Amino acid sequence: MSYTLIGRIQTRLLAAAPALAVALGVHRWWAIELVALMVAVGLVLDVLVYHRALPYQPAWLAMPLGALELGLVYLLMHRLGIMVPHLRFAVWLFGLGWLTQQVAVHAVLPRLRLEYGESGGEPGRAGKLVAVAVAVTAVGGLAGARAVEPPTVHIHGTVQGPLVIRHAETLVGGVVRGGIRIRANHVTLRDLTIVGGTYGVDVEHAQHVMLDRVHITRFTLDAVKAMDAGVMVDHCSVSDPASELTTGVLISYSMGRPMSMVDHCTIVGTREGISTHSSMVDVRNNHVVGTTVRGISLAEMSMDHASGNHVENAKGVGILCMDHSMCEIEHNTVTGATPNGDGNPSESGVAIESYFYAEATVKHNTVTSSPGGVRAFDDSTISSG
Amino acid sequence: MRCAIVGSGLAALAGYATLRRGGLRPEEIAVFGTHEDPLAVWRGRAAAIRQQRMRSESDGHLAAAAFPGLALRETVRRGNVVALAQTAASRYHPRVEDFVAHASRVVERSGWSTSFVSRHVSSVRAVDGGFELDGDGPFAHVLLATGHPGLEHVPGAVHAYEPHGYAPKVAVIGAGMAAATEWLNALAAGSEVVSIRRREPLRRPLNVPRPYFSKRGLASFHRLSDDARTKTLTDLNQPSYPAGRAWDVPLERAVATSQFRVSDSCLTPVGHQVIAATGFKRGWRCDSLLADLVAGHGLKTVDRWIVLAPDSTIPSLTDDKRTLSVAGVAGQWAFPAADTIAGAKYAARAFLRNVCRTR
Repeated sequence: MSYTLIGRIQTRLLAAAPALAVALGVHRWWAIELVALMVAVGLVLDVLVYHRALPYQPAWLAMPLGALELGLVYLLMHRLGIMVPHLRFAVWLFGLGWLTQQVAVHAVLPRLRLEYGESGGEPGRAGKLVAVAVAVTAVGGLAGARAVEPPTVHIHGTVQGPLVIRHAETLVGGVVRGGIRIRANHVTLRDLTIVGGTYGVDVEHAQHVMLDRVHITRFTLDAVKAMDAGVMVDHCSVSDPASELTTGVLISYSMGRPMSMVDHCTIVGTREGISTHSSMVDVRNNHVVGTTVRGISLAEMSMDHASGNHVENAKGVGILCMDHSMCEIEHNTVTGATPNGDGNPSESGVAIESYFYAEATVKHNTVTSSPGGVRAFDDSTISSG
Repeated sequence: MRCAIVGSGLAALAGYATLRRGGLRPEEIAVFGTHEDPLAVWRGRAAAIRQQRMRSESDGHLAAAAFPGLALRETVRRGNVVALAQTAASRYHPRVEDFVAHASRVVERSGWSTSFVSRHVSSVRAVDGGFELDGDGPFAHVLLATGHPGLEHVPGAVHAYEPHGYAPKVAVIGAGMAAATEWLNALAAGSEVVSIRRREPLRRPLNVPRPYFSKRGLASFHRLSDDARTKTLTDLNQPSYPAGRAWDVPLERAVATSQFRVSDSCLTPVGHQVIAATGFKRGWRCDSLLADLVAGHGLKTVDRWIVLAPDSTIPSLTDDKRTLSVAGVAGQWAFPAADTIAGAKYAARAFLRNVCRTR
């Protein structure tokens, strides 16, 4: 099609309507920000590049141009700090926007408006109204997101805690001694180092809490403890615990909260690496090293998914699904699980274990140098799906 | 009866299908023409040059809406995605048989035969309330789709669009799509071919550059002065045919074996069958109805073109209550590729807008 500039812009806005509707439907600011960013990137390219460079745009160009726009959106998403829970959500939303644009351009608009092609992609009066509505909604949504965005507090140097956070806010940078207690929704900790405290981060009765690139050391019980909470822990590092009774990330009694996620964390030398109780947690891509009881424990009627984790040199058990829990355990690597020495077969260097009425679905895992292998105990089951 | 279409060819069918899509009933439209089958004349010409593929692309069909195009229809019908992949790369050209089959369905479903009146119209006159066609009427809105005014014959030559075979030695006059098709036909028949042409043919996928098919190119075209527009149209009307191996490889092979050569001589070689791939007569003066209309109403013309508004209407005879539009080749002043299906639809859609405005 040979677009006019106005045709490109109006079509771009019009075709973003379904993605924007989804973003509004999921009630997440990041989704609205992402759609606004997608539209903005597209419009800038339309005005500065496409209109001049492409007097005629064959349909196949939609693929490489879509890839270019996806790349730019991805870069800007990181640069602008749009916190998408997982990259796949962003890609999915972008894909929806791209697909609806293709369907709109090649099928819906030519069907609804006979002159669509010859008018250079200008969708007519009704289309123009929808395009304006999309633009206004996106800008309004963006403004809304900015207006209700929690304040950002930058920490410079070291502060003495424990800090107690009772309002939504974003805490960035610095070192906190004695831990942080989070008692409010929509709290984000980013690029923080936390030293000492009973708990490094203690989250209770809160959701939409994000721990992004948080480093925790010298805690005496849990590096991250979340109870009745919905948390996202991304790229954390936990090391050098101050006692032998520690857990890296403990998420418990959070079944009534939005699903939690522990992603890309490195946990070294704790008693348990990641532990869940009565929760729904996605545990993925973590590196858990040298735990003294269990690497990853999914317990007490939890409904969890563990994938892409690398559990190394765990004493006792590598990955455990326990106590009426239902677990999907796939694409993990467990190496060097060793017996804990008390002669209990269920703690004898089992790489992946299902215990006490638990149901584990186990697929595509790699297990090496773990004498206990993959086993089920006490009326629990292990299936391959 | 509110609308009349004068002509019964492809442009007329495109106009009719568009009006029907716009909500007009068959009883509200009269189609005056000499062929009840709107494909009859075109099909005869396509058969004469043994045309296998259309020059147009997926949306080059006669239904009102561009979607679904012929590529998607072919994909669904034949169960493979080659046609879709080709259309994504702007390399899809429908088979003539598919185009004809689809057009026949449009004829059947649109109610064309209900509206068709077998009559040659020789005069259009503006009167109160619209236009009279040879004294009948008035019709508030009239679309003139009279088609090409006749073949451009060369004395002593058979025209490419008339039935013919191929002698052992063939001279083809012309350098457009029909000429190129005839080169390949004659070569395939084993003939020795001489291409007689005054200039090297342009190579482009469609009749005119793609931006002229949309507002992007048309907006600046419509802003041109009369002289500049005349020059542009003259340039755009230069003969051309698409680039591609399907054309080049057989010709290169024939050149290598001296089976094909080019001559810029005005004289046809002795002992050769001469095929005139010279297209059609050009201009409103060659069309008796248009010539009568211009003379009767003193319409503005420039060179061989009737001056039209950007929406293909004749400005002096179109107002809030009546419309006189020109579709097909005579509409080039508004749409340079007016003699294509896209051009027919362009005029038809604008015509529909005018009709709807007065409903």
